[in-house]
Amino acid sequence: MSCDHLSPLLALLVVMMTCATRSVVQGSRDLERKAYILLREEPENPKCFAEGRKDFTCFWEEDEERSGSVEQYSFTYTYQGEKSNTCPLKVLPAAGGKRLFICHLNRTKMFVQMDIQVRRDGELIYNRSLLIELVFLLDPPSNVTVTNTGQQQLNISWVPPPLKYMDDSMMYEVAYAPVDTHLDQVIEAHASSQVILRGLQTNTKYKVQVRVKLDGISYNGYWSAWSDPVFMETLPAELDLLILSLALIVFFIILLLALALLLSHQRFLMKKIWPMIPTPESKFQGLFTVYGGDFKEWLGQTSGELWLTSAFIHSEECPSSLEVLSELSLSPTMVSPPLPPETSLAKRSKVDAAQEGLQEMDSLTDDWLMERLRAFHQHQAPSSQSSLLESQDAYVMLSGNKQNKDDHLDDSLEEALPREELFVSKNTARSESRSELGSVQQSFESSRLSSQSSFEYSNQSWIHKGPCYAYMAVADSGVSMDYSTMSRIDDIGKGFFYANDYKNEIHAHRRPLLVRQYPVHDDD
Amino acid sequence: MLQKTGRAGLLAFLLIVLEWTRPGLPSPLKPICDLRVLNHFIQEARDAEVAMKSCKEGCDLLEEVTVPKTTVDFDVWEGKNAQEQAHEVQAGLWLLQQALNTLRTSVTNTALQSHIDNITRNLPSIIAVLRSLNIQEFTPPISAAELEGMWRVSSTTELLQVHINFLRGKVRLLLLGARACQQDVS
Repeated sequence: MSCDHLSPLLALLVVMMTCATRSVVQGSRDLERKAYILLREEPENPKCFAEGRKDFTCFWEEDEERSGSVEQYSFTYTYQGEKSNTCPLKVLPAAGGKRLFICHLNRTKMFVQMDIQVRRDGELIYNRSLLIELVFLLDPPSNVTVTNTGQQQLNISWVPPPLKYMDDSMMYEVAYAPVDTHLDQVIEAHASSQVILRGLQTNTKYKVQVRVKLDGISYNGYWSAWSDPVFMETLPAELDLLILSLALIVFFIILLLALALLLSHQRFLMKKIWPMIPTPESKFQGLFTVYGGDFKEWLGQTSGELWLTSAFIHSEECPSSLEVLSELSLSPTMVSPPLPPETSLAKRSKVDAAQEGLQEMDSLTDDWLMERLRAFHQHQAPSSQSSLLESQDAYVMLSGNKQNKDDHLDDSLEEALPREELFVSKNTARSESRSELGSVQQSFESSRLSSQSSFEYSNQSWIHKGPCYAYMAVADSGVSMDYSTMSRIDDIGKGFFYANDYKNEIHAHRRPLLVRQYPVHDDD
Repeated sequence: MLQKTGRAGLLAFLLIVLEWTRPGLPSPLKPICDLRVLNHFIQEARDAEVAMKSCKEGCDLLEEVTVPKTTVDFDVWEGKNAQEQAHEVQAGLWLLQQALNTLRTSVTNTALQSHIDNITRNLPSIIAVLRSLNIQEFTPPISAAELEGMWRVSSTTELLQVHINFLRGKVRLLLLGARACQQDVS
């Protein structure tokens, strides 16, 4: 045989010898462990046990000093009604200076009495009668598995020793305890290879061991050795049900209280969170819904009287007065230079003065104003001459309705419009600064001025101590206009059309701003 | 008088007719595979043994009796077929019945007598359990000498030991291996 054939054979031989050695070593360890158990449990000698259906082992212990050689001993066994037999003995060293004399049988008969006799040098030293099926000492259960099945629970399962005919005769003990404690608890199980441990501590590591014994009805024996310990940690505690339910109840109570509080202050909170943006829709029926905000169209379709009567003749609201200028005739060469920004400040100071003069407007009556308004309305160009102004613009230009000067007006308008756009306030959402825009009837086509949100009631800022006039408030605070230069149409025609780029600053005290009071001159 | 006789006869006739015309076939016995029945019999046999240990007088068996062998060599047992096993068990039960009847007449101790009565009543129940598993019934021989695998015992203690060993051994193995129970499990 060549070396190539020998090497695998040698390797196989080595492996086999290793396995055999391991099994022998393991077997001797098992025997030592079982012998240790029996030495504690069984008082009689020889100590005998069966590990399965066929094998049977007997042994006794002697001091090494006093024991003889193995040849001096004889082990004889006799089944009932049969002849006696001899078992060959072997010796194993044991701890503490002892020796074990062991008899092992590979084939046995059960359910029959067995008589055992041990002799040393012919002298009977041990005599014992037993039934083999009543002295079982099994191997401990294997594959002990511990799993978490729920709160404070552990599921223990194992594989019983493989013994035919005896599965239903086995009983088990499961020992469990928290690690590093000696509070072992034991639970029994009959003919079942699974058990559930309940009532355990949460989030605790447990040590679990199992041992087996035959139940003693048909078969009997000794408790096996404990299986190798298995460790498992229980699940952490979830919220206690009672605490959870109480917390939920408290939460709901707080929620209800909060809801009640919200509902009681609903109006206040709605104003803060979702302020109502005043719209003049109610005062101008159909303006937004039908005409889409086209004021000119709306004015043309409606008589305007509704607008005049319902929107502004409201005695509750006291708009600031406005001086209405009547005439406006524009020359063809009208150029209106834009005012420098500083002018707005100057104008504002004048407006302040005008506001102070507001207190002295007792002489203006409703009737006079209505008259003026009607006059303007009659003279206005049909249908397309009106437009909206933004509230902050409040830039009123009234014309004497010179239709023959419409061209001029257009020219001036075109020039004026860009400036007028300067008046477009960017702050359109200040309810407190809205003012009722008067009947801004402009004879020029200022459709570009159309804008919305001009007609808003200012419910808050028009706290006017004086008598309430049915005026059409035009200017917003911050708007400053110098009507002095516009008192004459000629002047306007020359371009004195100040385009005040005002800053729409809302004064803290919210004075209902108006322009100065100037007499209206109607040059027509 | 004749009327009463007539009525009784008519009633008996009607019962016979009803018995004949009972609808359907008689249903087979449900197999008794639960070994707890046998465990109960074994417990009562052990109680009799314990009672015998404390019996002072009137406990002796007056004559030798033939009892079945209780020895179980698993290799040998598994080498036998079901029929052989059933015959062995049924013969043994029959022998035990004879022996316990003899013991019942021998024993005068009342405490022991009650135990013997219990275990004597249990043997027909065991036979009924075997019948439910379709195990062949035993036809008793003319004489016991024709049977194999027997012992002769002369004491009450030995007889009760044989009785309990027989129940724990061969009877239990036969029930465990019964095909009717195997089919139920599978």
